[in-house]
Amino acid sequence: MNSLREMLAMMELELRRLRHDRTEIYTRAIQPILWLVVYGTIMSSIRAIPTGGIPYLDFITPGVLLQSTVFVSVFYGLTIVWERDTGILKKLLVAPVPRYSTVIGKTIASGVRAIFQALIIAPVAVLLGVKFIARPLNFLAALVVLFLVSGGFAAISILVASFMKTRERFMGIGQAIIMPLFFGSSALYPIKMMPTLLQRIAVLNPLTYAVDAVRGLMISGDLSHFARDTGAIVLFDAVMFVLASVSFRKIIE
Amino acid sequence: MDVKRPEENLVDIRGLVKVYPPATRALDGIDLGIKAGRIFALLGPNGAGKTTLVRVLTTQLRPTAGQASIFGLDVVRKAAEVRALIGYVPQEMSVWTDITGYENLLIYAKIYGLPAAVRKKQVWEALESMGLAGFAKALVKTYSGGMIRRLEVACALLIKPKIMFLDEPTIGLDPAARKAVWEKILTFKKEFGTTVFFNTHYMDEADLYSDEIAIIDRGRLVKLGTAEELKHSIKRDVIRVGLGTGSSAGEKVLARLRALRSVTGAGLADSELTVAVGDAESALPAVIDVLRDEGLPIIRISAEKPTLDDVFLAYAGSSLQSGPDLREVRSVRRQIRQG
Repeated sequence: MNSLREMLAMMELELRRLRHDRTEIYTRAIQPILWLVVYGTIMSSIRAIPTGGIPYLDFITPGVLLQSTVFVSVFYGLTIVWERDTGILKKLLVAPVPRYSTVIGKTIASGVRAIFQALIIAPVAVLLGVKFIARPLNFLAALVVLFLVSGGFAAISILVASFMKTRERFMGIGQAIIMPLFFGSSALYPIKMMPTLLQRIAVLNPLTYAVDAVRGLMISGDLSHFARDTGAIVLFDAVMFVLASVSFRKIIE
Repeated sequence: MDVKRPEENLVDIRGLVKVYPPATRALDGIDLGIKAGRIFALLGPNGAGKTTLVRVLTTQLRPTAGQASIFGLDVVRKAAEVRALIGYVPQEMSVWTDITGYENLLIYAKIYGLPAAVRKKQVWEALESMGLAGFAKALVKTYSGGMIRRLEVACALLIKPKIMFLDEPTIGLDPAARKAVWEKILTFKKEFGTTVFFNTHYMDEADLYSDEIAIIDRGRLVKLGTAEELKHSIKRDVIRVGLGTGSSAGEKVLARLRALRSVTGAGLADSELTVAVGDAESALPAVIDVLRDEGLPIIRISAEKPTLDDVFLAYAGSSLQSGPDLREVRSVRRQIRQG
């Protein structure tokens, strides 16, 4: 009960922040839009990547959406570093709520932000001619997947923030996490095209499963691996939530 | 085992030790009791352990040894219960600057689970009691440093806590803002009988607002008492005597004064006589006797008690650094930038 109300309060905080200032969402959308507009359109004209009959731009849209939401959540840890430098975290830890609810509340907040991010990029994709499956339920389900994945990555970012106590080090680690995950997933090309070593990494990469699920829901309609994908995401979330909650104590000492 | 009377002290600290690895003894065996309804000031040089003590009492840090309880509730074993009773304002800025003041309190009201029926009313009451109602709908980043501090106090008193912990409540504020913050805290305290525990660097604040003062140094309690008791305890009063111009005071009278047992020193400049004594009240008759005996005309006479600064220097002076440590400077600068 206590934990639920804190999680909801954290979500509300994020929505209120967004209401006052949305610049960050817009500026953060520039990079993924470049992936679609520049990289996507150029690569589709070559037709070098076997996408199973899907136009290349449509193929990478789910990956780009996920990359941008993961970007948001990984850097969400930065706000936690900032809240630690100020007294906000200390005050939250003195509130009569369990500590894990602060962690999960923060990851939910990052999920909220990530969804707003996706809602900005999706129309751009439509303008570029990407054909989404026109079923609202599919779209909603895809947003839920984005939300869940983003929560897991926000938890990773809290975990990193517990060890990296300065913003500069955090920035470096953030970059070092995101790009390899992006390239080591099926976001830009099918896994079968990768070298064997990278294929093995891709199998362990939560982003692979997320991309597969979102692509099935939004673009290809192929949901044959959907249960496996969501299972992998939920497992990833659970492990990360536990690790982040355990390490959270460290962040203030 | 001795008979425990938990009602007697609201905060009860016994043999509290906190060691930061590898070997920094931030708290080195503190014993302290704080009675309900009082304003308690904790003084000490940088690194004395003030913030560590507050953080242990507010359940953020586990003590290495010893115990502390609030309302008889152990801060480690009953941490959740303790948290529901206390208000806390950390030393660093602790509000979200990208939302409004009203929204800050609303979010905290929800985290603390204030019932929806009274939530808004209590938020507005807290804002009004801190004189912020007129700025409730402005973004906190437009607030001044003093307003931010008052918002933080408003946040802490939202739940009408039984005890409030304020870690350097007025650090980095100008004198007018400091006064405003304190006036609001005192009004609230009077109304609700809240116990207040605060850390400070400002001697004048401890002197003006506290009922009791503890001085800690290197993790140990070195002195405890009211401001008057502390000033009395160092025995460094000064008696100043204004003599008529052209009076014949000279070395002879100084020598006679110095010979008195209660006098530690005497000097003469511009027909003003300065006599350093242990305790002014007990030394005064003997000093006056000497002056009368010498036939010197006394125009005025005054006794100066030491200030709390003198007290602080006497008890904790040995470990004072030449300046605040780097971390503190940085955190204050950051607050100034942000505030």
